[in-house]
Amino acid sequence: MATLPALIAVALVFVYPILQGIQISFSDWPGIGDIQVTGIGNYADVLTSPAFYSALGVTVVYAVGTAFGTVALATVLAAAVSARVWGSRVYRVLWFIPSIAPGAAVAVYWNTAFQPQDGTFNAILGYLGLGDNYAPLASASTAFYPLVFVTVWSGVGFAFILVLGAVENIPVSVYEAARVDGASAVRQFFSITLPLARPVLAITATLNLIWTFNNFSTVYGLTGGGPGTATTTLPLKVYLDAFHSGDYGHATAVAVLAGVLLIAMGFISLRLTRQRNEL
Amino acid sequence: MRIRRVLRQLPIQVFLIFWTLVAIVPFILISLLAFRSQQDIFLYPLGIGGSFTPQNFVSAWLGPSGNGVGMGNFLKNSGIIAVTALATTLVLGVPAAYFSNHLGLRLRRGFLAVFICATVVPFVLLIVPYYNAFSNLGLLSSPGAVGVAYGVLALPTTVLVLNAYFSQFPSELLEAASIDGLNRFMIFLRIVLPLSSGAVVGVSMLTLVFAWGETQLGIALLQDPSSESVAVGVLGFEGNFTTQLGPIFAGLSLASVPIVILYLFFNRFISKGIALGGVFR
Repeated sequence: MATLPALIAVALVFVYPILQGIQISFSDWPGIGDIQVTGIGNYADVLTSPAFYSALGVTVVYAVGTAFGTVALATVLAAAVSARVWGSRVYRVLWFIPSIAPGAAVAVYWNTAFQPQDGTFNAILGYLGLGDNYAPLASASTAFYPLVFVTVWSGVGFAFILVLGAVENIPVSVYEAARVDGASAVRQFFSITLPLARPVLAITATLNLIWTFNNFSTVYGLTGGGPGTATTTLPLKVYLDAFHSGDYGHATAVAVLAGVLLIAMGFISLRLTRQRNEL
Repeated sequence: MRIRRVLRQLPIQVFLIFWTLVAIVPFILISLLAFRSQQDIFLYPLGIGGSFTPQNFVSAWLGPSGNGVGMGNFLKNSGIIAVTALATTLVLGVPAAYFSNHLGLRLRRGFLAVFICATVVPFVLLIVPYYNAFSNLGLLSSPGAVGVAYGVLALPTTVLVLNAYFSQFPSELLEAASIDGLNRFMIFLRIVLPLSSGAVVGVSMLTLVFAWGETQLGIALLQDPSSESVAVGVLGFEGNFTTQLGPIFAGLSLASVPIVILYLFFNRFISKGIALGGVFR
């Protein structure tokens, strides 16, 4: 009995809206009043619009690049901390702070940091004598790199904790045996840590892929999708189509297509999780 | 011996210290530059030099147009959102997570499957339907209603983490209590809950971090500027304070510092929550 309220709440907040979203995606709902289903027009529009494929491409590259960078960095950090390097206990507390602070706030900070001259990034480069007039966010060809960097920066603390759990589960005896055989620390990392932590690395990467795919705060706060549409990801496009253009049906069709892709990735992630439990 | 150990760690330490600086210097800079005048920020962008002034906090608190729609308002709204989200997720989640262990095996599996599926539902699917529902119910621009929604959205994590914790709860204790004549409900209230404060604090922190930082739904549902949360509000600061970096930094530090301090107090519980399968998005 005590489980029922939670189930009803989940049905109201997850299941019902998804069903209604699917209904809206087949309508020309103007943002108010009843939803009248008009057919597959929105999907035809979306699937023939270059803007959708552009956003899809940006999202996929953004998600894959961020997931890879996040997991790579988190693995190096976790390997170091699990080897009990000096300062580990302080590091593991501090590295998580970027994941705790509101994504919108840190995105706005990094936006100022990448401005010419008085932005932190340029100020430090200027201090090192490397010039202080870089404006990576102002150019369509470079805005993507700060976006991936900031997303990795804010996601790595979380990934670090997941990976650390896996790395610390590797028996110490394995490392001792390797040390007796004369394996260096680097060799131990590639021959023991990486292969034995692989299942969790795969899960962490998939989770990151999903989160980045769905990330809104960082993209909106750092680049706003620009310049032009150079960094407009699918979640941002859904927001702009719905609440700036008032095209709710079109936006929801994009959301449904994005959602189907994401849920497909979610199932892959669940498969991997199940594999972990069987190991 | 000790020195040799330190020397061997040197290359990796250089990298770890570098990353630590990259991770925390932004927060130090935000807090420091929040106290600097516009001119000082331009002259000393790394915060070394210049004088202290609280003026930026006044501007940020009162907002870009000075009419009071600023951080003062946003903090109040985020406070309401945080409290309602926390109350919702705990009231619904804690009993559900515990009593689901009393269900039969198949029912329990089905129950957990519902929540596992809910963790992969992307928010992008929910924005427009939520906007429609909140608009129909007259709840647009209501922080309390958004808080309740956040609380339920956090429910999958709350239930899965606590369920993992409760299923490890020593059964001898429960048996002893039932021999003493306590019914299931009293056992939950008097034995289980008091011994589970760590896990409850863990899921509470995960919920708070989520509710404090969420923008994707918040930006659509909190339409009236005076109803905006801290996270949605600082996004607006960017455009409205364009060239005034001081008030922006003051706003960012007011948005980040409370949750970071809370984390520094409770960080052990968060790590434990994540180890039990907790996520926040």
